[in-house]
Amino acid sequence: MSGRPDAVIVGGGHNALVAAAYLARGGLAVSLFEQREILGGGASTEEIFPGFRFDTGAHRIGHLHPGLVTDLNLASHGLEVVVADPAVFAPQPDGRHLLLWMDPAATAESIRTLSNRDADRWPDFSGLLGRLAGFLAVLHAAEPPDVPRPGRQDARTLLGLARGVRGLGRQNIAELLRILPMSSFELMDEWFESDPLRGALSAAAIRGGVHGPMAAGTAYGLLREVVGSPPGAVCSTLQVRGGIGKLSEALASAALAAGAQIHTGSPVRHVLTYGGRARGIVLGSGEEIETDLVVSGVGPGVTLSRLVDPAVLDPEFLRKLRSVRYRGATAKVHLALGEVPEFTCLTGDGPHLRGAISISPSLEYLELASDAAKYGRISEQPYLEAVIPSLTDPRMAPPGKHAMSVLVQYAPYHLREGKWDARQRDLLADRVIETLAQYAPNLRGAVEDRQVLSPADMESRWGLEEGNIHQGEMTLDQFFFTRPVAGWARYRTPIEGLYLCGAGTHPGGGVTGLCGFNAARRILRDRKS
Amino acid sequence: MPAEAYDAIVIGAGHNGLTCAAYLARARRKVLVLERRPLVGGAAVTEELFPGFKYSVCSYVVSLLRPEIIRDLGLARHGLEILPLESTFTPLPNGDSLLRSADHDETRREIYRHSPRDADAYDRFGRLMYRMALAVKPILSMAPPDPTSMSLKDLRGLARLGKHFRDLSQEDFFTLYKLMTMSSADFLDEWFETDALKATMSASGIIGTFLGPRSPGTAYVQLHHYMGEIDGVFRAWGFARGGTGALSDSIARAAKGFGARIRVDACAERVIVKGGSAVGVALEGGDEISAGLVIAGLDPKRTFLRLLDASDLPADFLRSIERYRMRGSSGKVNLALSELPSFTSRPGLGDHLRGAISISPSQDYLEQAYDDAKYGEFSRRPYMDIVIPSLIDPSMAPPGKHVMSIFVQYAPFDLNGGWNDERREAFGDAVIDTVSEYAPNLRDVILHRQVLTPQDLEDEFGLTGGNIFHGDLSLQQLFFLRPVPRWANYRTPVRSLYQCGSGNHPGGGICGAPGRLAALEVLKDTRR
Repeated sequence: MSGRPDAVIVGGGHNALVAAAYLARGGLAVSLFEQREILGGGASTEEIFPGFRFDTGAHRIGHLHPGLVTDLNLASHGLEVVVADPAVFAPQPDGRHLLLWMDPAATAESIRTLSNRDADRWPDFSGLLGRLAGFLAVLHAAEPPDVPRPGRQDARTLLGLARGVRGLGRQNIAELLRILPMSSFELMDEWFESDPLRGALSAAAIRGGVHGPMAAGTAYGLLREVVGSPPGAVCSTLQVRGGIGKLSEALASAALAAGAQIHTGSPVRHVLTYGGRARGIVLGSGEEIETDLVVSGVGPGVTLSRLVDPAVLDPEFLRKLRSVRYRGATAKVHLALGEVPEFTCLTGDGPHLRGAISISPSLEYLELASDAAKYGRISEQPYLEAVIPSLTDPRMAPPGKHAMSVLVQYAPYHLREGKWDARQRDLLADRVIETLAQYAPNLRGAVEDRQVLSPADMESRWGLEEGNIHQGEMTLDQFFFTRPVAGWARYRTPIEGLYLCGAGTHPGGGVTGLCGFNAARRILRDRKS
Repeated sequence: MPAEAYDAIVIGAGHNGLTCAAYLARARRKVLVLERRPLVGGAAVTEELFPGFKYSVCSYVVSLLRPEIIRDLGLARHGLEILPLESTFTPLPNGDSLLRSADHDETRREIYRHSPRDADAYDRFGRLMYRMALAVKPILSMAPPDPTSMSLKDLRGLARLGKHFRDLSQEDFFTLYKLMTMSSADFLDEWFETDALKATMSASGIIGTFLGPRSPGTAYVQLHHYMGEIDGVFRAWGFARGGTGALSDSIARAAKGFGARIRVDACAERVIVKGGSAVGVALEGGDEISAGLVIAGLDPKRTFLRLLDASDLPADFLRSIERYRMRGSSGKVNLALSELPSFTSRPGLGDHLRGAISISPSQDYLEQAYDDAKYGEFSRRPYMDIVIPSLIDPSMAPPGKHVMSIFVQYAPFDLNGGWNDERREAFGDAVIDTVSEYAPNLRDVILHRQVLTPQDLEDEFGLTGGNIFHGDLSLQQLFFLRPVPRWANYRTPVRSLYQCGSGNHPGGGICGAPGRLAALEVLKDTRR
């Protein structure tokens, strides 16, 4: 390997790739090490069954930081984002259906088939959430300030936030502060009466978490969804042509173009420290690589209590680190289909199947599904979000066949009885197929092959602690200046020269690249000073 | 209408209304208090429901009452005596139990019996919560500044608040933030391992809310209940001798002593508004009384949706009041007993009966109780907080007999199919059956029982939705957002109309702070 790198990046997830690209552009000699043979981590596309390609982790992207797309010129590196319209198709057991389009007017029309009152309220609702999301977008791209005593270096951040707040205007500021800690249930009660709409919106509020829509703090989940949506839309389904792995490939080729070195199939076993400073890493092969800058895209717990010898850390910090909550409750089921599922409430393979298919008939349905997780059980009637990328991109499946990727909640990492073995996986897959078949009866017979990724599988596959797809719960107490650990929200760690750049840091999970982007910015600033 | 008879009329003689009236009268304002019921106290009343048996019918413990109020109004002089309620007894289904008493060493030994680790953590946890309560205390005694406002007054308040937080250690600041945002179950999981201990402690995080202990936001409610302070001792709970009604009476006496007038059996029907400002109150039956200003001690929905005409209020304000959440989640069962219940886990009489008896054996138990309520049923096996006042204050029951007060959660106001006599009795039976699982003799010693559903709390005590705190204590309804944005300073869009009930900062419980703070704001606006 040529020379001593200025920076070593641990892991090849999309945030790590973003960090690598920006640090390389910042003039550093960067080496990135990914344990798996393919890059992307939770943003990978894999051929699981011959000819069937699936986005095995995230099957849609969030709000990619616009600066990032232009800075790295991702289009020229092969990134093509597909915006599904309608974004969401919510079939109902009673034969009705709901479509959420990019255009608020079109969405209102669909809502009108369920409730006139709700349809009339939609423009105000989407308008309000759009304004609040505008501010959250600023907050997400900002580096958390030092609280409760902000220092001079926080001036820039605080000024930006202050501008954002002033832009909101007095009434919206109050609304933001009021809505942030609310439950999705309370927010829906204030606006809507129709179960399909309350359910479809609450689905966005609970995705990736362990709580149900009646738990306080879930309204923020919906706001995040709006941040990731084009103007005017509340929900959106953004996918990458060719699979989400193409995004990771584009990021990788941008990083390579900037001079970074990328090594796959080479896991990092240890981060070496000396006198409280990072001094290098050890690879699985035993090879030692010296560097005084290590940037980890892996979760905070894995990085600081497994890659690093925890003995070098202050016990109080370790206590906080161990109290970070993960509790993954999301699983993935990948189905190889012989034919397109035919939904009874809306037949054909029209645009409604090209976005997200949301099984969330009511808010109470989601809450009931979440109850199971409280007691360590798999939901009998789970919440499902399914996508069929092969409809928009034939390369994803053999001719005439289709690849369906299903996100499932709730499937708790910590099962009361038994552990995540083949039996539990089959139980989960059966429940998913049965649930879908209630809406698309031909699905049962169409399934040629199936794969289940339980939270336990996600942990072993991608190093996601307790299988949490966000590298840590996205609750208000693990948000902004307290993510991942209060007092250490600025991508630094107690070990000098060791940084975090994964979803475990602000602004958290979802394919946005912002964690890697913010971390790289912090690192380059620290090196200047 | 006769020329201005009073400087101020306070609607509702609940403990906050009385406190407000007392402070105004103390400042030599001419004050009239109107109470619909035949006695003062609102939800803090003592009533002799059955001959010889006296009950703190609704609110039954005193802890949050601000010491400055006791001092300013000389409540001790007016007969307020608080008898400490020192222990919490949690019987368990397996025949074991958990008893936390005033005796620190006893408690430590008892917890050690369940978990040595928890015994050590318990002291550190107590010290932490004490610091947190101290950190929040000044906020309880200030009118919330509005961070969305640019007025000098608000900016000054914000600056004071900012300084207060900057003065906290960073660790305490972070802990406070966690308490504001976490679930009580998660917060306690970081400290303890004994399920029954965590369950009993997290129970104080769900009281009066429509949330389960695993829902974020409940840790704050737990802290809210830690702010109890009697004679400078935090987390000290107690009874007023003679029941909570005696506390209301002492405030009423203080108010009268300062010259306030109190009229019972006088139901305010409407606030009279002329030219955008409140000029008096119209009573049921037609009497009209004029006053310089009107202060409503009722909950926000009652005040603005019933006493006022929609045309007197801005539309967006009305919308905020309509969406203000008041989801009642609890009921009350009051029993007259021929003898004491005997608990399987600790048979016979003992100190464990002199404190609170908490039916909260496990976190799952509380969650399951919540699950029933989420879907519109009362808990088949509810969480209960039980006290036997007659053991501490014999005047509450005939010799040898006892009164038992059972606070029950969850009982949703919006019960599937609605509340009726039959459902009320079914609810009462569920309560008795559940307690009997721990104290089998209970069934045989009941002389009388009164069951109060959330519907009853609304009908008899005017608590909209049966919400005991005049509104959910959720983060979005606290401090400068309580009851609604921009109007968390005890004022209202109607000139010279104020609010002083628990729907205002700092919220519910026998606290008196809303009444006191409202009075202070009134006095600011009407300086002579």
